Amino acid sequence: MSGPVRRRLWRALLSLGALAVLYGIASQIGSALLPRRIWMVAHYIDDVELLPPYASLIEETVFLIQSGILPRSILVSTGRVLQGLALGAAVGVPLGLSMARAARLECLLDPWVTFFRFTPALALLPLYALWFGLGELSKILLIATAVAVVTLLGAYQGVRDVPRVYLEAALSLGASKGLILRKIVWPAALPQIFASLRIALGLAWVTVVVAELIKATMPSLGYLLALAGAYPRVPTIAVAIATIGLLVLACDTVALGCYAVATRWMKRSPAHA
Amino acid sequence: MRLAEAARSPKARRVWLGLASVVALVAAYTLLSNAYRVIDPSLLPDPIRGVLRPQILPPTQRIFDAFVQLVGAGASPVGGAYVHTGDHIGGLVEQRVTLQGSLLVSTYRVLIGVSVGAPLGILAGLLMGWSRAVDEYVHPIYILCRSIPPLALITYVMLWLGHGTAHVLLPIIYAVFATIVIPTYHGVRDVSDVYVKAARALGARGRLLLSKVVLPAAGPFVLAGLRYALIIAWMTTVGVEMLMADEGIGFLLIGGGMWSSRLEVAGDPAVIVVGIVALALIGYAMDAGVRVAGDRLTQWVKR
Repeated sequence: MSGPVRRRLWRALLSLGALAVLYGIASQIGSALLPRRIWMVAHYIDDVELLPPYASLIEETVFLIQSGILPRSILVSTGRVLQGLALGAAVGVPLGLSMARAARLECLLDPWVTFFRFTPALALLPLYALWFGLGELSKILLIATAVAVVTLLGAYQGVRDVPRVYLEAALSLGASKGLILRKIVWPAALPQIFASLRIALGLAWVTVVVAELIKATMPSLGYLLALAGAYPRVPTIAVAIATIGLLVLACDTVALGCYAVATRWMKRSPAHA
Repeated sequence: MRLAEAARSPKARRVWLGLASVVALVAAYTLLSNAYRVIDPSLLPDPIRGVLRPQILPPTQRIFDAFVQLVGAGASPVGGAYVHTGDHIGGLVEQRVTLQGSLLVSTYRVLIGVSVGAPLGILAGLLMGWSRAVDEYVHPIYILCRSIPPLALITYVMLWLGHGTAHVLLPIIYAVFATIVIPTYHGVRDVSDVYVKAARALGARGRLLLSKVVLPAAGPFVLAGLRYALIIAWMTTVGVEMLMADEGIGFLLIGGGMWSSRLEVAGDPAVIVVGIVALALIGYAMDAGVRVAGDRLTQWVKR
């Protein structure tokens, strides 16, 4: 391992470790000083640990895992995110590509893309619940909508940024439309598409946390969070938040890895390194 | 399409085609949503019968009616205490929830979120991009923070701050903060590299380097980040209001209720469509404002 990388890693561990220790101290002080009786909306709630110490966090994690609630919730929520992501990207990317390639289509779709771009996807939730029922479909479609808008814009911008020289060179060499799309437009637009997918993945997780509150059924992280908040059980809230955070982090890391693999060919040009 | 072909310049063509597409779709929707008056829906096959109802596809004129009703709701004679009605728009009118009032409250929340979150985020991005030591210590923590969706925090924040006005704002501030750090960071770290080397070679350092080279070079990136942060701020605001708040456009979309049961109340699609269109328009207007202001601020950038 080279020097700078090792130093980087060491410093990261140091700061994360310091954070963990600080939290431990804060939670110990907090358990003595912070009020355990809290006024919430209409009544008092007793035994609230505003900063749950590590002991109760670990206890809660063990319980949630052993009872199968956490693993099943993770599976269900991740499944929804991935389905929404796949569906949204399957609509958004081809639409973005063809919008960038066909001027007339672009003009026709432009007002609607602008409309959806500035509509927060979550605002569509009540409408989707009405149209597609309270079940699985409306949740996945909501995520897909958020993803489709972002990936559409990413694919569109990616194609738009392809240098005109490439296209003209290919045309003058007699390349067919399909060949240009496969060999020039697609690889050149890929980095932007991946970048937009990463953003979309983050948005998908934001969306799912709220979407899982419509006709909430138990194995799902969004409902686990809401239920824990309604009691309220802070250790459960903390574990749910941490789980969602770690899942987002894991998804992001995987997306970054895919991006690195898919754009390996670009490493040849130092400008993009 | 003849109109579009008649238009000479590509820009005019663009406007015409866009306009034609909007008019065509609205007209098609009006016809479709009014079809239930002409055709008896019960004669139709199942999926179409379910869809062609005014409760699902509100006729265009009903959407307009809802708009008028919501704008005028403040002047309703009833007003005052909350009376439970199953009706979405009825409930809103009884509570004197107006469209413009809700938009104002939400805009206010978004603006607070941006004006508190953006400076903090820009500062963090600047420090991380400027100093390698800060970057190496703080970036891991930032990545950890950024991974947590702002809306997931709302229940926890509420325990600390109570069910008031502040707990709604915190997730919005946090969302803006987390969004704007990265563009600033990349703007400072990556792009200014050539400029920084040139300026250093000419003897500039410290504050001069920061104020004359790094900040102007990072400007366009920060502005792009700000535009994206605005979209995120609206998203978070609507989400928070749908879940928790008692006013604002998210509340208007949902129509009331408590906790998770909030999202189970069947809404009136006309009200929801009015709310969504209003959100899209105000989002567009704010983005255009930042874009125009940003173009002025960064006039030196070659376009």
